[in-house]
Amino acid sequence: MLQAVTSELIEQLEKIVGSQFVSTNAADLYIYSYDLTPAEPHSPDIVVLPQSVEGVQAILKLANRENIPVIPYIAGGNVGGLTIPLNGGIMLDLKRMNRIIEVSEDDMYALVEPGVTFGQMKSYLTNNHPTLKYTYAFSPPSTGVIANALVQGLDNLSFRYGAASHWVTGLEVALATGELVRIGSCAASKTWQAIVPFPEIGGLFLGWQGATGVVTKMAVSLWPNPPYNNALTYMPMDLEGADAILRSIIRTRIPDDLIGTSFTLNKAGVAAYEHRKMDLYPAVKREGDEPEFVITAEITGNTEKELDAKAEALSEAVEAGCKGYKFTGPETVPSTTAAFPMQALGVLSSGGGLMWVGTYGPMSRWLETVKKGCELQDKYDITRSCYTRIMNEGHFAGLRWMLPYDKGDPALIERINDLCAEQLELVLETGYIPYKTPVWAVRKLEERVSPGWLTLHRRIKAILDPNNIMNPGRWGMPRE
Amino acid sequence: MSLKDLQEWLYGCTHCGTCKDILNTFAPACPAGEKYQLESYFPSGKMLIARGFVNGVLTLDDDDTRERIYACTGCLSCEQQCGVYHHQHIFDTVQALRSESVMQGNLNPAYMVMVESLKKDDNVFGKPKAERREWAKDLKLKDAAKENTEVIYHAGCMLSFDADLWEIPRSAVKLIKAAGVDVGIMGVEESCCGGRAYEIGYDGEFTKYAEHFIETFNSLGTKKVVTSCSDGYSTFKNLYPKVNIEMKFDTLHMVEYLESLINDNKLKLHKKVPLKVTYHDPCHLGRHLGEKGVYNAPRNVLQNIPGIELAEMERNRENAWCCGAGAGVSQENPDLALWTANERIKEARATGAKALVTACPWCVRNFKDAVKKYGEEIEIYDIAEIACKAL
Repeated sequence: MLQAVTSELIEQLEKIVGSQFVSTNAADLYIYSYDLTPAEPHSPDIVVLPQSVEGVQAILKLANRENIPVIPYIAGGNVGGLTIPLNGGIMLDLKRMNRIIEVSEDDMYALVEPGVTFGQMKSYLTNNHPTLKYTYAFSPPSTGVIANALVQGLDNLSFRYGAASHWVTGLEVALATGELVRIGSCAASKTWQAIVPFPEIGGLFLGWQGATGVVTKMAVSLWPNPPYNNALTYMPMDLEGADAILRSIIRTRIPDDLIGTSFTLNKAGVAAYEHRKMDLYPAVKREGDEPEFVITAEITGNTEKELDAKAEALSEAVEAGCKGYKFTGPETVPSTTAAFPMQALGVLSSGGGLMWVGTYGPMSRWLETVKKGCELQDKYDITRSCYTRIMNEGHFAGLRWMLPYDKGDPALIERINDLCAEQLELVLETGYIPYKTPVWAVRKLEERVSPGWLTLHRRIKAILDPNNIMNPGRWGMPRE
Repeated sequence: MSLKDLQEWLYGCTHCGTCKDILNTFAPACPAGEKYQLESYFPSGKMLIARGFVNGVLTLDDDDTRERIYACTGCLSCEQQCGVYHHQHIFDTVQALRSESVMQGNLNPAYMVMVESLKKDDNVFGKPKAERREWAKDLKLKDAAKENTEVIYHAGCMLSFDADLWEIPRSAVKLIKAAGVDVGIMGVEESCCGGRAYEIGYDGEFTKYAEHFIETFNSLGTKKVVTSCSDGYSTFKNLYPKVNIEMKFDTLHMVEYLESLINDNKLKLHKKVPLKVTYHDPCHLGRHLGEKGVYNAPRNVLQNIPGIELAEMERNRENAWCCGAGAGVSQENPDLALWTANERIKEARATGAKALVTACPWCVRNFKDAVKKYGEEIEIYDIAEIACKAL
């Protein structure tokens, strides 16, 4: 916490954004001090909501001069505690910067401000550019498009295109000093079509959790929106079968999206869709012939014929690759796209909390990691709740164990914290790297990275943020 | 409502933000959040304030915190959008925080005046009780407190004391009489329904009025009470059951009653009213009634009026944007109330309608005031006024 939020500081911030959009009210500070994870709460000293790039620059200049931490915030739903201000300071809530500035039909990108949400983007494209689509994250519709890209999120086009940060085609960033920089083609022209062929300095900001600057504009790729879609669902009886099915599908290169979940997570999740509390504790078990895993491959087609051909090819590949394993399916279900915007309801209905050890790692060690992670859940009598999404045509996999929990139950929180600690050790052993990395995992990860990486990482942070004001205590610099 | 009674729901909210926008169209849903943008003004912020209060981190003696708690029009759009198990208890939680404030003696001056007026004159506007039947003084209506009538028309506080709106109750009783129905009013014996007192946290005042209302009408042997006030109507339907006294009479909103009179061929609306209108669903006539929300009746009535062209706004029925007046906001925070109304008026104008028609005097009043403040060109009517033109 700052020694005191001086009236002079408040006055200067009010001059920049207007008094209505500056708050030191206790309720505001309390709300921004938490998120849905069990991360230790820390209060900001002041909340500020700018509406312009110039406003952001002015705030950063002021903060840099006064050595005040700045925490960029959009919706706060990152499941990593990433916007909890470890050292207090200014909570920079960017939701008022919510313009979709441009959609280029020809170059297939959208240029957006940080407050633009997935819901807003979907609605805008549906109404104005129906032949184009963006993706959606496994998250509420209020999630920020830019935030999702900055934390390298996984989305429903990730099988085709990888993590959301891969789809960034241009950036405008306000540095900690308040200077403004454009990165990608937009640095040299009026269009924002690609980061290449410049040196890829976008990487100085993507995946940094706001520790190097505030992204004030971002261009993201859009894709054609084929009119036909469907989803094929396979339900293997064991994890070996799941692994075999995933590998078979990966090699077809057919789906847009390929995800898998523990059957028991879906079983427990039924309650949520009936507007009841979902409870993973004690563990919900499989019964009778219930499968271990549910795998869904989402496919699209420009024609029905194309869609049917894709479905047939997928089914043949799975049949051929899974002879040794028992599974039920395929079942054709409505596309998961249809579930938007309520696709995450199942994990948001357990009492205000959601936690996970979320990772990206190699397919080669997927089976081993999933098995051990699920066994740890058994040990803690917690429902198996694995969620995996195959990325970038199988070059890596997103993997996590969803842990929705009741924030009013301290004993349960302790239990899932213990589970997560063990799961973190497991994934680090098997080469799965925590993403949206909570600070406790950052420090664990830093113990394992090569000294050269750590030195370079901290050097970059120090160059870009000499006074360590940008979301301090996370990537690049431990908490003082 | 007490926060203790809401323990089960207190931790439901993950602060996911789904409540902020209309599902699927993603147009804004929460007036206070949309205007002020700070998280504390959104429903999820208010749920966290409740948690902070229960856990002893926040107090209600802070004017600024209480301002956030009272900056909620009780429109329930958040409850419509949220799918989590606690979703039907979001406004309950806001109301419980208000109730807790009142119990602690942390009172807001605007409401103190209002409650004093309730205690003294049985209305929320500080008007003498004796003036309650002024709106009907030349209509020769039966005094239902003294003689039996088939239907008792309940005008409510707003329509009784706001002379600018008297055309609404006068139109309503003209329509009822035109259908050949024996209608009376309680006149000076009419009192506030108590709904507003409940919404701002004065539970005791509410209980007093609910008991009085039910016992009075039960003792009169009343069969049917009809009102044009959506706030009052939802109070009868939703809140009165809380006092556990059997209501031996039926309550109807005027639009439901009008629809039934038209359907039973008792009321003929034959004169042409050439006007393009859009209909605003009052929150208390829609979302507040859950699955029994009255959405079709007003539209059916309008479509039975020759010459009326009805255009829908983007946010309608369960997803209607609030008028801004509800839950005490128009009394305590007129800026929020009128800003909210103007947002709706802009949406109404985008349909090409010349008139915004609704079915609640609180909405009508607030829309009229917003037109005065912001200068948008649109006529504001209650549905009874339009229907009366067709007699």
